Amino acid sequence: MNAYAPILVLGAIAAAFAVGSVVMASLTGPKRYNRAKLEAYECGIEPTPQPVGGGRFPIKYYLTAMLFIVFDIEIVFLYPWAVSFDALGIFGLVEMLLFIATVFVAYAYVWRRGGLEWD
Amino acid sequence: MIATHALAAAGGNSPSIPAPHIEYGQLSPMLVVFGAALVGILAEAFLPRRLRAATQLGISLAGLVGGFVAVVVLAAQGHASTRAGLLAMGSVAIDGPALFLQGVILLTAVLAVLTYAEGRLEPRINGHRIDAFAAQAAAVPGGEQEREATREGLRTTEIYPLTLFAVGGMLLFPASNDLLTMFVALEVLSLPLYLMCAIARRRRLLSQEAAVKYFLLGAFASAFFLFGTALLYGYAGSLRLGEIADVVSGVAPVTPALAVTTQNDALLLIGLAMVSVGLLFKVGAVPFHSWTPDVYQGAPTPVTGFMAAATKTAAFGALLRLFYVAFPGIRWDWRPVMWGVAILTMVVGSILAVTQQDVKRLLAYSSIAHAGFILTGLIATDRRGVAAVLFYLLAYSFVTLGAFAVVTLVRDSKGEATHLSSWAGLGRRSPLLAAVFALFLLAFAGIPLTSGFTGKFAVFQAAAGGGAAPLVIVGVLSSAIAAFFYIRVIVLMFFSDPQPSGPAVAVPSALTATTIAFGVLVTLGLGLLPQYFLDLATKASIFIR
Amino acid sequence: MNPVNYLYLAALLFTIGASGVVIRRNAIVLFMCVELMLNASNLALVTFSRLHGNLDGQILAFFTMVVAAAEVVVGLAIIVSIFRTRHSASVDDSNLMKL
Repeated sequence: MNAYAPILVLGAIAAAFAVGSVVMASLTGPKRYNRAKLEAYECGIEPTPQPVGGGRFPIKYYLTAMLFIVFDIEIVFLYPWAVSFDALGIFGLVEMLLFIATVFVAYAYVWRRGGLEWD
Repeated sequence: MIATHALAAAGGNSPSIPAPHIEYGQLSPMLVVFGAALVGILAEAFLPRRLRAATQLGISLAGLVGGFVAVVVLAAQGHASTRAGLLAMGSVAIDGPALFLQGVILLTAVLAVLTYAEGRLEPRINGHRIDAFAAQAAAVPGGEQEREATREGLRTTEIYPLTLFAVGGMLLFPASNDLLTMFVALEVLSLPLYLMCAIARRRRLLSQEAAVKYFLLGAFASAFFLFGTALLYGYAGSLRLGEIADVVSGVAPVTPALAVTTQNDALLLIGLAMVSVGLLFKVGAVPFHSWTPDVYQGAPTPVTGFMAAATKTAAFGALLRLFYVAFPGIRWDWRPVMWGVAILTMVVGSILAVTQQDVKRLLAYSSIAHAGFILTGLIATDRRGVAAVLFYLLAYSFVTLGAFAVVTLVRDSKGEATHLSSWAGLGRRSPLLAAVFALFLLAFAGIPLTSGFTGKFAVFQAAAGGGAAPLVIVGVLSSAIAAFFYIRVIVLMFFSDPQPSGPAVAVPSALTATTIAFGVLVTLGLGLLPQYFLDLATKASIFIR
Repeated sequence: MNPVNYLYLAALLFTIGASGVVIRRNAIVLFMCVELMLNASNLALVTFSRLHGNLDGQILAFFTMVVAAAEVVVGLAIIVSIFRTRHSASVDDSNLMKL
């Protein structure tokens, strides 16, 4: 059971921090309300009952989501490398830099072609 | 307790892992092509629009020719024969068949890229030269945005880096020595091709539809490949083709887990069947051929030519390596099935070709029939079979590329005139072009003095020597059916009257002309003086394990 | 729990995905079925990796995830472009080419 004690402590600290921040914000923060703030939050797009356009997702939302997924998933290769970083040594570092450089080439293309602009 | 242990292991004191050995020099053909693709993406990102097309063509040609030079240098150093070996910790094999097919793929790609850059066929718009690809692939066909993009003379120059990525995958595919590398190569070559199908300038609906069909069926087939891989891994406990072969033939040391899994032949047989489905889909063998005619018809014609030639070469390379390296031990199990597939492919391809009214669909069914002929060489299961398949792929690639390049030239006001009726009397209007196309058709039919004859003779001879004589009889019969139709097209071109409102033959620039000339040269060369290349294929026909 | 049960589950998921591809007609649903097939393969790979006590299967599962993501992006780009053209994602509507 001893082995799990640090994890429990970590969990307790995380919970205390989360609850503490919310309580602190509600006690000390300014309270100004407007319409946008009161609307249901739906990860960046307009809430669903949307008469115009038949309630479909706007195309730019799709684009952003796709770009996010394709860059996000590259992280999968960073985890095993990070875990055995010291064991792999300089070879692992160089190969990983090459890998990240290729991802950045794709990023440069997306950026220059306006894939990251919302409007 | 276990948790702390794992944390400690991850936290620091872990023993150093020996760095894997990567032979960059021997992987250079692939590295050069992928490097050129990345440079192409950067050029696409940072260059002003007017410079892009020319720069991309230069980058692509430099990358592909550089890759080809690397292949030739590696072959000259003996990496195709005496110094052949497994690289990158055994996941890539550079040996005779791999280098031979890489050379074929790179040459094909060079010629295909030349046809991409052809700017003389479409009429100029506001002084801008345009090519066979959509002005803006994201614009809705017929919409205002598309009209504006067309007026400004935009071009989809992304086609060049996409092609380079596809070529990189194709180079890796026949060289991959484990199922993981093979799967990644399969996807790297497929994903760009799906996109390239969707960006024709004319008939965009057809083009998008082709891309959707190709994508959905292709993804379906690669899912089969992956599940088959999982089952084979379950059977053999390894993804390496050589180690799978050892487990299959019972040479490998038996671990407790292997003792259980190798009891279960279903894992092996179903796994092999599913992996084969993925590969047979790519070569377009019946019954996994249904995408071929639609995709060949809908894709922009230069892309169709590239796809028909290079994808088939790469996929047959992978198929050969899979069956010859990993599964020679159970050839009595897979040979009967491949017999069936080969017979179906030859017969269905040839018979359906007879009913086609569209040149591109006709060539698609012809490519299906050719996949069947090549499969007969694969079934020979000996060195002569490998050599015959390698030679056939070399011959077929250039004929196909040339034939599709000719298709781009026969045009009317709506773009390419692909309906066969509009090819009537072409021989009167443009005797040279019609003669060239007739030569390609004769090569498809396998008439002597063309490369098609030598190729067919080689595969049938190998199949007969390998104990597949009935297959050869079916092959000759279906060649006869197909020949009937090819000759009907030739008769249509030379002995019927041209339609008054028929298509005109566009005069190409030196780019397309080079591709067609090279096609003619190789077709005649391999037909008249095949010995050098037959010897080369024979020398290159040993798979390393 | 006996790891063989995970294999049965993987086979089941794969079959559901494959029959979905054959039966359903909406391109997006077809596509989701293909993803299900890929994930079924992943489950089988990881299970076999455990059975054999080596990591090859888990590594391949990583690669499959990345490939699947790339496939999603390419596939949805194609499907969205045809959807904007036709205002429909049914694969039965796309048959201009059938003779």
